[in-house]
Amino acid sequence: MLLVVLGVLFLPTLVHKDPAPGLTMSRARSRTLECERMTAEIASRSYPGQVRPSRPRGEYVERSALVCAERLVRPGLRTDQDAAILYALDPLVNDLTASAADLHPELADHTWLVEAFYPSGQVSAKLSFAAKNALAERGLQVSDRTPTLSAGDVDVLTRMEPQEAYPSACRRYSDNGSLRAGDALLAVVSRDPRETILHAGLCTDGQWSWLK
Amino acid sequence: MRAYAAVLGILFGLWAAPAYAASPDVEDAQRAELERVRAKIANEVQLTAYDLVDEMVLGLKTDPVFQASTPVVLAGVTVPVGLGTGLEALVENHLAAVLGENPRTNIQLVHCPSCTAVVVHSGPEATVLSRGVDDPAVLAELGAGSGKHALFVDIEAEGTWLVLRARLTRLTPDLPIVWSRTIASSTSTPALLRDGTDLKSAEDARKDYLAALHDRGPITIPVRLGVRAYAPPNDSAGVAVPPFLWLQTGAELGSSDARAWTSSLLLGFSFIPQAYQGLMLQARVSRLLTGRARSLTHPDLYLFVGGSVMTVWGPATAPFQADFLTADDLLTAADGDSPRTTLGTLHLGLDLRLGNRVGLSTFLETIPDRNNSDNFGNYVRVLGLSFQTLGTEVTFCF
Repeated sequence: MLLVVLGVLFLPTLVHKDPAPGLTMSRARSRTLECERMTAEIASRSYPGQVRPSRPRGEYVERSALVCAERLVRPGLRTDQDAAILYALDPLVNDLTASAADLHPELADHTWLVEAFYPSGQVSAKLSFAAKNALAERGLQVSDRTPTLSAGDVDVLTRMEPQEAYPSACRRYSDNGSLRAGDALLAVVSRDPRETILHAGLCTDGQWSWLK
Repeated sequence: MRAYAAVLGILFGLWAAPAYAASPDVEDAQRAELERVRAKIANEVQLTAYDLVDEMVLGLKTDPVFQASTPVVLAGVTVPVGLGTGLEALVENHLAAVLGENPRTNIQLVHCPSCTAVVVHSGPEATVLSRGVDDPAVLAELGAGSGKHALFVDIEAEGTWLVLRARLTRLTPDLPIVWSRTIASSTSTPALLRDGTDLKSAEDARKDYLAALHDRGPITIPVRLGVRAYAPPNDSAGVAVPPFLWLQTGAELGSSDARAWTSSLLLGFSFIPQAYQGLMLQARVSRLLTGRARSLTHPDLYLFVGGSVMTVWGPATAPFQADFLTADDLLTAADGDSPRTTLGTLHLGLDLRLGNRVGLSTFLETIPDRNNSDNFGNYVRVLGLSFQTLGTEVTFCF
């Protein structure tokens, strides 16, 4: 009798595979999974043989499939900020470039340059790469050129508040000729290491404006 | 009852332990399992990265960026943050190999030490420390008319997706990007493992697969070499039958392209000089045991049953003739004056097919007419039937 009671108690855990944390799944393990719920029709097409297609005359209950896959990179391998930014790199960058292109249609004939200001050089390069690709795929002219500042400029700018530093850097780019007339610089900026979003600024003809 | 409850309690404790217990052994085991899974995933990342590179090169081949062969410097390959540079080298080598095997991309990889090396350039405005490809001043010195381009490739893991971004930049002081592409693939999708010399899109690869299935047709021509070994007689009064070699050919018919059910009709011939000759007509029905359809990539196992009619003659076939042989029978057979013996048989066996081309089979066969013959022993006896013959065969299908 006790066995039956225990069986009933744990039956849902035994028969229902759930990626949520519980008796058979630790929280750490759950966090490594990324799951997507889809209809039985889509799931049976995407995973033939694993998900049974719907019966021709319909089902008695509404069926769906929860497809889970393990994240590629082990938790803890990247810093929290890097992990959050890289996890959503594509949507984040597409959002920023869409803002730039849509808010400034008059810059469509400009040559776009991209600069990323992010604590990690490796992630910064990836942000810049993704932004350049996103702009090019929107049909804009994009250049791999990077505007430069002299050592003296950098020394002064790094001692300024961010609100002043970015507009000042923009003016210096224009003054020293590394950002020419007809160039538009999209700056992808992480303003705070605790943030998991990115900001964007635009520098044209020595004028700085925040897009996002 | 108390003992029963105690046992249940212990079982419950053991079962519930993995979720909550902080036992170091369990943690180590979990960690080891996670590492095993990670290693598997790392391998999948590499194959998926290869797949993305193949897809990119396929795109460059079907829609070339350049009209003529153009020198391109492989300026940079970067891999997901957190994964080792070993993957970088693997992807770089694979990319170079696939581009080399596909000259129709019009991309001719060239070595440009000044482009990829870190150089120091001092001018009146500033001293710049950078790679050659990143410094317009260095590029101006290298010569803008060389027509060189730089290819940059970045691969990043975004959740469960692997995303490849690539761009081609003309190596002039203005560094315009002339082509860019972003391709994504989920690692839960198996890699296509395409042949570098014959790149195909996933749709084309599937069409080829289906065509290969359809092109097999319902009929194949098997050529089969088999040997039948007869069980030695149970007592000394019997005369043992020698093993028989058979060469058979005919037709094998699949009920559908899946070839879950097949039937065959084969004509066989056996000839050993001074010993025996024989002819055989054999029919067989086979059922696929491993899956619902024949696989092109994995071995398939069939269960078959069938029957045959064989006629044999020659000095060594005397034991087939009668239940009990006299010295006179043997002398007559040795003189080459042996009568022809015709027998009916039933068989049951397993056939392992490899790639729809080669088959290896083994079977047991019964000769009902000789169930009580002194000249035959039996390997197995089931439901009153003695299986006197053990056969093995190699089949080549055309």
